[in-house]
Amino acid sequence: MRFLYFFCLIFLSACSNVSPWERGTLAKPHMSLELSPLQNSLRFHQYGSREAASGGVEVGGGGCGCY
Amino acid sequence: MAVTKSKSLQLLTAAALALPLTTVFASSDEEASFQYGHYEDGTRNLFGVKSAFKPIQVDSIQSNVKLKLADRVRLAFNYTQDTWSGATPVTTAPLAFAGNRQRLLSPKILSGASPYLNNSNVFVDKNFNPLQQDTKTGKFLSNNQLVHTLSTASPETRKQGDFRVGYDWDEASLDVGAGTSAENDYNSSFGNISGRFDFNKKLTSLNWGASYTQSDTEAYLDHDAFPYIERTTFGSRVDKAGLVTGTKKDWAGSLGITQVLNKSALIEGAVSYTNSTGYMANPYKTTAVLFVDPTQKIGSNGQLSGSMLAFIEQRPEERNQWTENLRFVQHIDTFDAALHLDYRFYHDDWGINAHTISGDWIQPLGDGWSITPRVRYYSQDAADFYVPYLVSKQAASTITFDEDGNIKRTSYNPRLLPQNYSSDYRLSGYGALSGGLTVTKQFAKGLELQAGAEYYTHAGDLKLGGGGEGNYADFDGYLVNASLKVDLAALSVANSVHSEHAHHHSHHHGAGVPAGIMFDHVLPKAGDVMIGYRYMYANQAGATQNGTNVISDAMIVHNGCGAKQCFVTPNEMSMNMHMLDLMYAPTDWLTLMLMPQFMDMHMTMRELDNAPTRPSPLTSLGAAIVHSEHEHTTGGIGDTGMYALFNVVKFENQQINISLGVSAPSGDSDIQLRDTHRQDLGFIHYGMQLGSGTWDFKPAITYTGDFGDFSIGAQLNGTKRLESKNKAGFAFGDIFQATGWGSYSWTNWLATSVRGVYTLQGALNGSYNSVYHQIGPMDYVNSYGGRFVDVGFGVAASMPDGSLQGNRISFEWLQPVHDDVNGYQLPREGALSATWTYMF
Amino acid sequence: MASVEASSVGENAPDCVLTSLTNTPVHFHEYQGKVLYVDFWASWCTSCVQSFPFLNQLTHEFGEQGLHIVGVNLDEKIDDAMVFLGHHPSHFTIANHGGEQCAKSFDVQAMPSSFLIDKKGVIRYTHQGFRAGETEELKAQIVQLLSEK
Repeated sequence: MRFLYFFCLIFLSACSNVSPWERGTLAKPHMSLELSPLQNSLRFHQYGSREAASGGVEVGGGGCGCY
Repeated sequence: MAVTKSKSLQLLTAAALALPLTTVFASSDEEASFQYGHYEDGTRNLFGVKSAFKPIQVDSIQSNVKLKLADRVRLAFNYTQDTWSGATPVTTAPLAFAGNRQRLLSPKILSGASPYLNNSNVFVDKNFNPLQQDTKTGKFLSNNQLVHTLSTASPETRKQGDFRVGYDWDEASLDVGAGTSAENDYNSSFGNISGRFDFNKKLTSLNWGASYTQSDTEAYLDHDAFPYIERTTFGSRVDKAGLVTGTKKDWAGSLGITQVLNKSALIEGAVSYTNSTGYMANPYKTTAVLFVDPTQKIGSNGQLSGSMLAFIEQRPEERNQWTENLRFVQHIDTFDAALHLDYRFYHDDWGINAHTISGDWIQPLGDGWSITPRVRYYSQDAADFYVPYLVSKQAASTITFDEDGNIKRTSYNPRLLPQNYSSDYRLSGYGALSGGLTVTKQFAKGLELQAGAEYYTHAGDLKLGGGGEGNYADFDGYLVNASLKVDLAALSVANSVHSEHAHHHSHHHGAGVPAGIMFDHVLPKAGDVMIGYRYMYANQAGATQNGTNVISDAMIVHNGCGAKQCFVTPNEMSMNMHMLDLMYAPTDWLTLMLMPQFMDMHMTMRELDNAPTRPSPLTSLGAAIVHSEHEHTTGGIGDTGMYALFNVVKFENQQINISLGVSAPSGDSDIQLRDTHRQDLGFIHYGMQLGSGTWDFKPAITYTGDFGDFSIGAQLNGTKRLESKNKAGFAFGDIFQATGWGSYSWTNWLATSVRGVYTLQGALNGSYNSVYHQIGPMDYVNSYGGRFVDVGFGVAASMPDGSLQGNRISFEWLQPVHDDVNGYQLPREGALSATWTYMF
Repeated sequence: MASVEASSVGENAPDCVLTSLTNTPVHFHEYQGKVLYVDFWASWCTSCVQSFPFLNQLTHEFGEQGLHIVGVNLDEKIDDAMVFLGHHPSHFTIANHGGEQCAKSFDVQAMPSSFLIDKKGVIRYTHQGFRAGETEELKAQIVQLLSEK
């Protein structure tokens, strides 16, 4: 079950058709997956000390796709 | 070819004169950021019982530095420190059993409610539901209300440092990191490895990670609670002195895919798994067990009598956790906003399923401003072994007579209790809703400021699907944060673009100024910004002295405590200070500086030889002396300085600057020790307060002169308290300081310095205006201040060019050479200053 | 390490229909006999910010010797490019119109992408991305192409 939707994402990759120069919007800072890492670490630390669930904060990819 | 004024050129000219860049770039490769955060709980509902315990509050600072060691090599390190204190639930019990009780200190003064964990005189009905006895009529009434029993803790500080090294290929990356976290009773170390693979012209990224964490608990069971906790379930976990030891090991792995959907949207899915083994219980929490003998005779009101006893909680020694996460980011073209939606499903083998949904709307407002409202909803099930309290159908103890007529006492059988049980609200069923707002301002020079606030509410009623814990466990809280981020490479980019112009910071004036000096220079032109971070460590240790003489314990006992006698004397005192210097020049002749600071202090004491007999620990003075056997710590935000600096004299390579400003009393000066042994210990020792509590005027005049590779400087500075006493009833003494230094630049980037300092500080004025216990010389206002001479040795390195130009770091060690103290004090051992500054 | 395929080395450089900022047409075949450095960039690309000072430096150092740089802008909104250029002025030709078609002709796979074209109009070197450590290699390649007849 867990990995099922994972594979769906991989199929989605076939539908995507964005050229490297069309990534201007994706490169905007507020489109970033880790915009405020310091604030996030404070918030997640606070949630983590009050709640039983933990983890699941994943980062990587997206953005400008620059080399 | 003739250049006609085309539309493009007109736009270009307009752009050159335009406001700072509105499209700003995502995180730079090289940056430094600092953040201060404060969290505070609201008061818990104790159903009519007043608690003088303050709710939990946490003050924290964090710093993060990212550097590029080479083209493809990244280095990052983080430091976090938080200090927390306040009331926390120890256990849960029926309200009828009166777990939170107020003590009467005198006919008029009620102190804070103290936790009572045991009660051998409780009543339940035949279905084992709690009963409350009406004090007037004697009748028993049903009362199913539950309540948390609260206990409070003195301030505790946690420190964590970690680093990460990464390598970037064209379409992949690899990161390795490690770190450690330390606090009084808990140490944790971790290592991790992670990476990323890009596919599909970087439209698809595969992220993977693995980590290992080992955490060791070494905690003493709560001092006051220990005598009342049943030892039948201690096993080998808890020793005779009440020390709980345990180790926990976590192995975790994660896998995720980030996929660009179209020009304005992307999606990310991830799965992670953690396996934890070892000790996972909370040593400061107990579970109340109600013992009722079902065979007893029912009372006249239908009541059964029972006993409530406290047991440390028991949790499984293994936990497997799964998390599935889905994130979606969509650009909203009409508003140029970004919508982030996040869903996480959590599942573990303790029976907890949790859902988290959150949404952020990041809205740029132009001119570098941006505002982000956010909403989050969280809901979890209770753990399989969660109980507010247990009912055990057996007598707590029974008395029988054996054949000879001797009394035989049989206690309950602990093996009849469940294997695992906890009343920790974190494992109960509930929902939580939070909403927050963050405001960010990006300045063109590569400086970003951010402030955020979030309100959080935890309620059983909010649980998805209902069936959450009762509203006695509800609480709310708020979190605020303020942060600053500096792009370390901004200056180098700006300079290389304008490469025709001279490096305006090549031979930085003041390259050799020692790290311990403040207020020494002004910013040269309007619009200049300088950011600095300063760390200072200072400690006092050794033999207590009076004036300049080391004296015997007997002398301290008889003379150190005024008309009374001393019981203890300080053994060691240390202080860590983190300061941010934020300087901005609105005009060419004026520089403004803001200096917030965060500090933590520690003190240990020792019993004096020939000290008088201690009073009983049942008295508050006796309890205070017992408490002094533990290290005392305080931590949190300190006073905030606000200054204006002017250059008054300038010729050739010499200048004189004047600084005028005040220190605002944002640091606590009324910190108290926690109640212990049911005694109110009152204020902590004067020297452990985090701030002066008064507005203080702080002028300074500084001379600096550069003569080729040599430079010299001198400064006079002072601190004048503008109030005669703060809200706790006292004021620190005024300070006068004179210092002079010389430095030599060995190369264009390295300099060393030598310095002399004379400091004169007055004793304290006034005294605490409420309960405090004088057990040693540090509790007397005359034992503060003195005349001090130090010698300092420093080294400084600046980056004149390269991608990190404009950065400077320096260190200085101040060695005390003469301590002439007022009253009876520990001599100083030294102070270390380390500073980093970055001028834009 | 570039395993991404763009317009291949050894092929003739495609011609593009481009207009410069001063509204004059830009044709790559006009640069026959000169070494042409075609750089595809956009304002939102962080590596591009870092590459501009280097490209300016190349213009000063090798412009007289026959190096010509054309920065083909691929911003979807021309205003973004203008604001960028206001803060990071270029001393080389910037072409803004017709960029997207040109990028397709060159089969650009990454941002930024640069193509070094020799005096005969043949693509000799391609680079994906820009890193400070690659500058020496780029200079050496330019010197080599400039020395050829």
